[in-house]
Amino acid sequence: MSRCRGVLCGVAAALASCGPMRLDMPAVLSPLPRPAAGAVLQAGFARVDITPPAGVGLAGEGPEGGAARGYRLRLYARVLVLADGGGNRLAIVVADLPLGSAVLHRRVAALTARTDGIGVDRLVIAVTHTHAGPGHYFDAGAYNDLASSVFGYDPLMLDSLTARIARAVHAAVADLRAARVAWGSRAVWGYTRIRSLPAMLHDIPTPAAPPHAPNLLLPEYRVVDPELAMLRVDLLDSATRKYRPAGAFSIFAMHATGNAPANDLLDSDIPGIVERRLERHIDRDLNHRVDTAFVPRALYLFANGTEGDVSPAWPPQSRCAVPVLAVLPALDGPFTRSLWQWRPPTPTHVAACQHAAREAVVRIGEALGDSAGALFDALGSSLTDRMELARAFVTLSLRDSAGVLGVCPTPAVGMAALAGAADSHSRMQGWRLFGAFPIGLDEGSPNPDAPGCHAQKRELLDGVFGEWLNKVAVAGTLPSFAQVSVLQLGDRLVGTLPGEVTTTAGRRMRDEMLAAARARGARVSAALIMGLTNGYLEYITTPEEYTAQYYEGGSTLYGPGEAAMFGRVLAGLAAGVSSGDTLPSSRAPRIVGELGHKRDIVPRSPAIRAPDGAIQAWCSGDTLYARFDLGAVRDWPVSSGDVAARARVEVADDATGAMVSWDDDPQLELRVRARHRGVASWELRWSGATRARYRIRIPGRPASSAVGCSPAQP
Amino acid sequence: MRAVWLGLTSLVALLPPAAAQLSARLDVSLGSRYVWHGLSRAAGTIVQPSLAAGLRLGRLSLEGGAARHYELDAVASGELSESGAGNGHLGEDDVWGRAALDLGAARLHAGVVRYLFHGDSTRGGLGRGWNTTELYGAVSTTGSYLNSSLEVWSDVDRLHGTFLRYSASAPILAWPFPPFVFAFVDGDVGLNLGQGPDPSQPGRVANFAGRGITHAGVGAALELRAGRTPGVGWTTIAVGLRSQVNLDDATRVNGVGRKKDLNCWLWMGVTVLLGGEARGLR
Repeated sequence: MSRCRGVLCGVAAALASCGPMRLDMPAVLSPLPRPAAGAVLQAGFARVDITPPAGVGLAGEGPEGGAARGYRLRLYARVLVLADGGGNRLAIVVADLPLGSAVLHRRVAALTARTDGIGVDRLVIAVTHTHAGPGHYFDAGAYNDLASSVFGYDPLMLDSLTARIARAVHAAVADLRAARVAWGSRAVWGYTRIRSLPAMLHDIPTPAAPPHAPNLLLPEYRVVDPELAMLRVDLLDSATRKYRPAGAFSIFAMHATGNAPANDLLDSDIPGIVERRLERHIDRDLNHRVDTAFVPRALYLFANGTEGDVSPAWPPQSRCAVPVLAVLPALDGPFTRSLWQWRPPTPTHVAACQHAAREAVVRIGEALGDSAGALFDALGSSLTDRMELARAFVTLSLRDSAGVLGVCPTPAVGMAALAGAADSHSRMQGWRLFGAFPIGLDEGSPNPDAPGCHAQKRELLDGVFGEWLNKVAVAGTLPSFAQVSVLQLGDRLVGTLPGEVTTTAGRRMRDEMLAAARARGARVSAALIMGLTNGYLEYITTPEEYTAQYYEGGSTLYGPGEAAMFGRVLAGLAAGVSSGDTLPSSRAPRIVGELGHKRDIVPRSPAIRAPDGAIQAWCSGDTLYARFDLGAVRDWPVSSGDVAARARVEVADDATGAMVSWDDDPQLELRVRARHRGVASWELRWSGATRARYRIRIPGRPASSAVGCSPAQP
Repeated sequence: MRAVWLGLTSLVALLPPAAAQLSARLDVSLGSRYVWHGLSRAAGTIVQPSLAAGLRLGRLSLEGGAARHYELDAVASGELSESGAGNGHLGEDDVWGRAALDLGAARLHAGVVRYLFHGDSTRGGLGRGWNTTELYGAVSTTGSYLNSSLEVWSDVDRLHGTFLRYSASAPILAWPFPPFVFAFVDGDVGLNLGQGPDPSQPGRVANFAGRGITHAGVGAALELRAGRTPGVGWTTIAVGLRSQVNLDDATRVNGVGRKKDLNCWLWMGVTVLLGGEARGLR
């Protein structure tokens, strides 16, 4: 009997370990601020490298997101901490990550509240939404398990991000210095477009382009929100006692989907180019620093706005074909059956579309970076050392309070979401049963007969299972709470939401926030929406867009009332921002997340042999190649996140010895070729070679032999 | 067996993918009572291991393989079986070779199969007298929604007759995340054009009792891509249900007098595919 019970217990334990993992997530609110002597306004910046090792899933593309084989532009978390004389601190983090995470936000805040007085209510962790960033750290199982083809929640990923971001916040606090700031904005046209224009045209009144929109642009380019909002920050230089340009914080609406969905490298996408562009402009052009090479000292936080239905202006040839369902006629002899497969596009096609995408990323990134530079320069004449800082914060329990909030009590994913967005339609898009019967795997295929709260939405295979399949298999894996805040930064209100807000929904929210704040007598001139913060709840569309059931409507989890609900919540918070106080614990109740299946995804194994010190290099056309070992997979590119101290791979001009590229350059790619006894063998490709000789340098080992490149003349 | 396995795996792993592609496939399937083509049949549980290897040179593939049929259950007198009444045992060996030409959405096959039976003919099984050789040709079309094949089988040894078979399979839905799952339905129909008895040779054993449509079958199956080793290949597990109406008197099932024409059976199989296209598939 006892043996039988033991076996049963073992089986039960094994099954439990295979099941989804639940995590309790308490929140730590900020303590009462202690007024500080000295400057009226202070600011501090910090940056931390968060590039994970190869092998993690590239989240955001669903089934089309593969495992990262290496990286191109490194991923960073950039931090700006603002503090006023009353001791009020606000920390804004913009991380090169695909989606927000409430558990990440709460864990970082638990650390920074203790050391820096920055709890959940004074910390905003926004993500750039790069679709070439890692998953496995989210607060909902659906995203850990299905955001890429590499499924699972990995506590090591969460712990690593938590420690690095918390350390960066702490470093930014340590960097606090007297600051002068200026808010401004400018319209940037032609680099973004509405990707679901038919859904947007359902909005009432029909969205119209502003009078200053360029007439030559197509309609989908003219109805975007073109505003690039920027807070410029200059800091007091302790040596010269002068204020010098130090960095900026921006909000701009654009999906970070410049890379082709077939991309296999970690990369910070267009925002990474924009950030580096302005950072180098500040360093070289304004501060005349020539020693920074590829390591900028300035910092630019480029956060996302109402980007829910906004794509970057990628060219069609940058979108790769997706795998198609087909028979694999492999040795299906007379007595064995044919196998089915997802047949991938040809390598030639994938290479061509990835190349087109890379060109678009650089072109759009540099153009936006130049616009940011122009705006930054223009703000130099309106700097001030006074800025009111206040905040309001609330955690909404969406399921438990659905009736009060006005949303559906059970979240549901629409079939349109499975089809994927225009940026990257999934392999499921357009699938019909037997090729003839549509089952809703298309954008813009609402079901007018669907009853209940999710009316118009075709739920998962509802033609067969009704609402049952969604309730049993899907709803429990979706998030059930939302952390919402409003920051007052001078005369601007910034509403932060854990989702992707569409252009029209965002416009309505901004109006509501502004009206509510002015009604209580606040001196505010504008309101902004910062999406993808402190969690992830997929999309937030207007009721009209929801009715159209494009990708965004299909991904609005809590029904057509979501945008209006968030508008009311933001308005309420905007009317109640405060400073110099501590918030009641009811604003941040304990939440429980179902994180999906726990797995070891981030490489953990140490190397059991010494890496080969040799560097083999050669050139073909304008591309320099090199192969070398870099220790264990888990140890590269960074094991600590320390930007200043980390090792790097450099390309140096043999004649001058000057570094011309390193492994944080859009023209340089590093991929793991093979793993042998724990040691990773890497391949470097740098496509910036001119007619010259180059060496590959890795600190701590001899450089490669000089390699001559002689690209064909254009 | 272990040495063969290691050898195949190593060979596949070492071959450059861009060159002529060598691939290998191991199948083990488990099924219940069935009859196929008037030749292969089982009265109860049957296990069928098979091994195949192929060389692909551009659009042309040269392939060959072998399969064994073991009946596991005891067979009652009069049941449609290869081994005959009594305990089950090895019933059949098949060796085949073929060439296949890939024409994009279509594929042409031409090949030969040698059937070797090991049953006891005195107990109603298929003995050496059933051994034969068939040539076959096929044209198949592939698409996302339908995969169909028309096969022509010509006995060139024992019967000198022809059998036609048309089969089709269509996916219902496929899970896009690893491990991939494919759900599909399939069906086939057979037509005997000369593999029945020959009045001029009364002692000759025949596959069918008469000319005409021999059977029509439909089935549904699930295929799970259970494991994958990058650069080497992957493993698939499949399970299915199949039903078949046997219209020819010689292929009806269930014992003495065999009158039952509807036959349903379950099957499951494991396939290991190494090399070739399987190396690069996600």
